[in-house]
Amino acid sequence: MPIISDRVEIERKPKLGGGGPGKIPHRRGFGGGDDGDRGRPEDFRSRNQRMRRYRIGMAVCLVSVTVVFVALTFLYVFRLGKGRYDEDAHQWVRDWIALKLPYLQLWANSLVLLLSSATLELARRAMEKKEEFAAMGIVPPRMRRDLPWLAITLLLGFGFLAGQIIVWNSLRHQGAYLVSNPSRSYFYLLTGTHAVHLAGGLLALLVAAGGRLFALKFESQKIAVEVTSWYWHYLAFLWFGIFALVHFAGS
Amino acid sequence: MPSSTTLNAESRRSFLRRNLFSTDHKMIGRQYFFLSLAAVLVGAWLSLLMRIHLVWPHAAIPFLGEIKPENYLAHLTMHGTLMVFFVLSTVPQAGFGTFFLPLQLGTQNMAFPRLSAAGFWTALTSFLVLMAAFVVPGGASGAGWTQYPPLSALASAGPGQGLGTDLWLLSIGLFCLSSLMSAVGFVATTVRHRAPGMTWMRMPLTCWSWFVTSILILLAFGILLAAVILLMLDRHAGTSFFLPGGLLISGKAIANSGGSPLLWQHLFWFFGHPEVYIAILPAMGVTSHLLSVFARKPVFGYKAMVGATLAIGALGFMVWGHHMFVSGMNPYAGFAFSTLTTAIAVPSAIKTFNWVATLYGGRIRYATPLLFSAGFVSLFITGGLTGPILAQPALDTYLHDTYFVVAHFHLIMAMAGLFAVFSATYFWFPRMFGRMMNERLGRLHFWITLFGAYAIFVPMHLLGIAGHPRRYSDLSGVQYVAAMAPLQKFITLAAIVTIAGQLIFLVNLFWSMRRGPAAETNPWECGTLEWTPASYATNEGPGEWRPQVNHGPYEYNVPGVEQDFIMQDAPAS
Amino acid sequence: MSVALRLALLFVVVGCVYLFLAQPYWFPAGASSQSGLIDHQFRIALWVFGALFVVGHLILIFVLSKKSHADRAASRGSWRLEVTWTLAITVIFFWFNISADHLWSSMMPPKKLGGQIDVEVTGAQFQWYFRYPGADGIFGRTDAQKFARPDEGNPLGIDPSDPAGRDDIFATAMIVPVGHPVQLHLRAQDVVHSLFIPAMRFKQDTVPGMEILSHFTPTKIGVYEIACAELCGIGHYRMRAVVRVVSEEEFEKWIKAQEAAAASH
Repeated sequence: MPIISDRVEIERKPKLGGGGPGKIPHRRGFGGGDDGDRGRPEDFRSRNQRMRRYRIGMAVCLVSVTVVFVALTFLYVFRLGKGRYDEDAHQWVRDWIALKLPYLQLWANSLVLLLSSATLELARRAMEKKEEFAAMGIVPPRMRRDLPWLAITLLLGFGFLAGQIIVWNSLRHQGAYLVSNPSRSYFYLLTGTHAVHLAGGLLALLVAAGGRLFALKFESQKIAVEVTSWYWHYLAFLWFGIFALVHFAGS
Repeated sequence: MPSSTTLNAESRRSFLRRNLFSTDHKMIGRQYFFLSLAAVLVGAWLSLLMRIHLVWPHAAIPFLGEIKPENYLAHLTMHGTLMVFFVLSTVPQAGFGTFFLPLQLGTQNMAFPRLSAAGFWTALTSFLVLMAAFVVPGGASGAGWTQYPPLSALASAGPGQGLGTDLWLLSIGLFCLSSLMSAVGFVATTVRHRAPGMTWMRMPLTCWSWFVTSILILLAFGILLAAVILLMLDRHAGTSFFLPGGLLISGKAIANSGGSPLLWQHLFWFFGHPEVYIAILPAMGVTSHLLSVFARKPVFGYKAMVGATLAIGALGFMVWGHHMFVSGMNPYAGFAFSTLTTAIAVPSAIKTFNWVATLYGGRIRYATPLLFSAGFVSLFITGGLTGPILAQPALDTYLHDTYFVVAHFHLIMAMAGLFAVFSATYFWFPRMFGRMMNERLGRLHFWITLFGAYAIFVPMHLLGIAGHPRRYSDLSGVQYVAAMAPLQKFITLAAIVTIAGQLIFLVNLFWSMRRGPAAETNPWECGTLEWTPASYATNEGPGEWRPQVNHGPYEYNVPGVEQDFIMQDAPAS
Repeated sequence: MSVALRLALLFVVVGCVYLFLAQPYWFPAGASSQSGLIDHQFRIALWVFGALFVVGHLILIFVLSKKSHADRAASRGSWRLEVTWTLAITVIFFWFNISADHLWSSMMPPKKLGGQIDVEVTGAQFQWYFRYPGADGIFGRTDAQKFARPDEGNPLGIDPSDPAGRDDIFATAMIVPVGHPVQLHLRAQDVVHSLFIPAMRFKQDTVPGMEILSHFTPTKIGVYEIACAELCGIGHYRMRAVVRVVSEEEFEKWIKAQEAAAASH
């Protein structure tokens, strides 16, 4: 039976050879195994373990997504500022045609996205409360009248995507196509990439909402909703970043 | 005795469930291993065709006939793509890593088994899509694994630049997704699922290298994916991210305008330089690990090794411009990139010193894995030392895009990296397949490959010094290049012998899988967790193994202890 | 086994050193003002890194012994050693890197060089075109898409309506006088190429959509080959041209003859 020592004796001498025999500096996050479980190593498949590793997995994914959007932002700003090289004039020429953004639609979309973040958070909290009872298979009466927050989030999410399509269409009607000018290319690129990522989040929420259809335990649904909510709030934050960028820089 | 060949819960499932839908990390690791094996066979075959064509341009290859210039460029592109992505970025990380990270950390599976499996199947799909490029009209892309636009952006720029390039882009896009999926699992596993007592500083250096490499993957592959998508848009949606105005190809005017070919180079190399560290860091981790095991000595300077790994990872993102000194990039940027590149040579040197110091004074056991690890150190020194030469823009002006660069990266990536893969294979074969590989054949394989590596790639430096540009499909186009045919012939002959020598490895591998002598639980007397008898119980299914780690990973020849090594999960004394 | 491995590595070291001393293939004779400096820098590189190669391998050979030492076998590291060799290698690497920076500075294009000869070089699949600005010293406008007619002697697409282009001299070989800096205006028509003149130790990529300035100063009369050094398609291996470095008088004669021929059109 594995015993984890609670000794907090920490080696202060800089030992080049790394952790050697004997002493276990059992600080949280450094002790290996099940930090914070205070001596009771939990099963790989336990709720806590699952929750923690999905959280880390999502955090890691967000790092990767961040890198992509940071790179796209750099490209955007660089292209705007530097322009293109004119061989005949022997100089860099700024050829950025500012976009006339359909602000009404964009603000409406932003509101929808913000609302969806709020409803998703409500859904997550409701599931957290339900969790204690779900294991016992009962739904307390006071929770039966709750609004289906997850379903509402899904609707709002699809609404945002539909709204983006409307934005793109209205831009096309004013003649701003993907290929017309770099300002258009990068606008569609940024908003398109954001929309694709959001659609991925929607898919995850759909599966979580499907629940029993996909043979998911309530615990799995809850984990899915929680980590997707991180992703979702991140994408909302990213959306406002993109909105600010195209407004202040590109239009 | 416990081995992975005993009948167990896993093997009682149907063949399909075991292979097609397996989420067992050991199976996934093996699948990656065989995928890379297939890729390296195709890649080596392509390099053989290239070498033969350079020296005997009109030779008729059986079933293929004479190799034409466009074929040569396609072979060149696919050789580079296969080797860099499907071999060096796959087997050291996803292959051995997926198999051994959970075992070495003392846990029973990767954090996200289905994600790991999905990663493999995406990688396999990516490989098949890439192979499909050979058989489509126009053939495979001929723009090099670097795919610089406008050459890669315009179908009219050459044969293979049509559907062949689209398939290349699709394949690499899928490969990016596969790598990202795999890397997420590695990070989560390392952070969350170390066994009790396995502190960060008690992790084997292989686990450290897999961890840092995963972070590099997460930061770099997204950029490649973005670049590939932008190139696809340029090719098919009429955008002009990389295409400037005024292009005239084969008499046809190209309508795009406003883009910059240099933008692709920046994006590609911002990914591309971390990529070569993704390829080499796991190899370095394996080497550190094996040198310690076979010298029966702790790794010299474990903390410095960890620090050096982190430094290489971090600095790796700051040096991409050294591929672009003569590209038209602002020459003042050259100073910055040159200095940073010199900086990254320092942690690499630290690691080399530590490897040598690990060997110093040890009671070295000269088995095949040790031979290949020692060979790694030698090739790393040789290949690595030409790096600072190329890092100096005044010299790189001459040497860029010549065979000097080809010699440099082949010695350090292909040869050293491959030596680490070989040593890892010989070392971990008993754990993966329950049998031992033949030691005599292993040694013969080592001798041929060591001498072959040096015979092929050191003379190649002279070609570069004499000004021989790379990616030339024929020597007859430029007179001073034609004059170097004799040396090219020598290199080709060395390559033929070396590649033929790899057959010994293949024979050894497959024969030993079936008929090799059964292996003991811990044939190399190594202290890390994958060799504990209890770890073999993970064959029976999850939840059966809960080690308690009380010791570091390199407790060899500890004073006062009778046995010459201590297993990590031995009781604390 | 230890003996065999050590001997093998020793053999490898000796072989490599021999190869680099015997130099069966080496730099072509330098013919520009920077070739001497670059060759000198390369010689330093070879000696410094060659020495590191030899020393590194000798140490590796030394440690691959059969004997073992009990005290060393227990050693886990030494901060003092780590710091020492890190500092040493840092000093060597950075000294080498910084010592050549002035050379890189000298290779960067200045705005105006005294007595320069302007040559515009255009790379196209799969040949090099050279253009001189003529008497007015200005290159005429080009628009390859609109005006390029390779079979009519205008592959660059010089705009016929631009007066500055009427006196431009077009050639398929680069002809320059010895001793004068050559200011190159590098362009490309279709894909990325790279102008590589080994004898001048000169290389610069030519990028479509960009005009890149660079320069070299030829110091020896002769004919030197140009090769393309960036993969540009199936004809990349035969994208060859020559630089003819001639005396000043011969260059003047050639220019006059070209201008006369252009004027007569």
